[in-house]
Amino acid sequence: PLRGFRGCAVREFTFVAQKPGCKGLRITTEACWGRCHTWERPILEAPFIHRHHRVCTYSHMRILSARLPGCLPDVSPLYHYPAALQCHC
Amino acid sequence: YDGLAPGCHLFPFNVTIRSDRRSTCKGSHVLHACVGYCESSAFPSRYSVLVASNFTHNITSASRCCTISKDAKVKVRLDCPRGRHHDEIEILTARACRCDMCRKSRY
Repeated sequence: PLRGFRGCAVREFTFVAQKPGCKGLRITTEACWGRCHTWERPILEAPFIHRHHRVCTYSHMRILSARLPGCLPDVSPLYHYPAALQCHC
Repeated sequence: YDGLAPGCHLFPFNVTIRSDRRSTCKGSHVLHACVGYCESSAFPSRYSVLVASNFTHNITSASRCCTISKDAKVKVRLDCPRGRHHDEIEILTARACRCDMCRKSRY
């Protein structure tokens, strides 16, 4: 169903949170994915190309925290990461 | 552009060019732009990116945008009033398109 999708949407994203001194933790969060309308058109004057490039990215997000396992005593186990609430081109 | 399938495609458009000081000579031509829908995504940065950016870049973007991958110059004939003379001007047109690196828009 995503093969023909146009636009930009919140989509589930899984990654392994890692930092030195702790073990990794698999985290599933909300990120952004899509296909934005972009174009390049020749024009007469310099720079001779009129460009409209937009990318799918976070428009609203909140920062979440996870607690990584197996951290050394002097290493904070907290790992902060963004979760998308809304995405846009 | 609503009928466009995902991807980056040649898209014809008409231009009318006027020249000389009083803009009395003019000509029209069909040129091609590249228009489409290319994939992009944004997701939490890896820890190495966080450290390298002093924890300012907490989002990483992986993006493709519709670009002109091949262009060509075309000559457009500008006809002047009463057929006295004509001018010629060279302009660019797209010949091929590709979803490729996004660049900062100048406008």
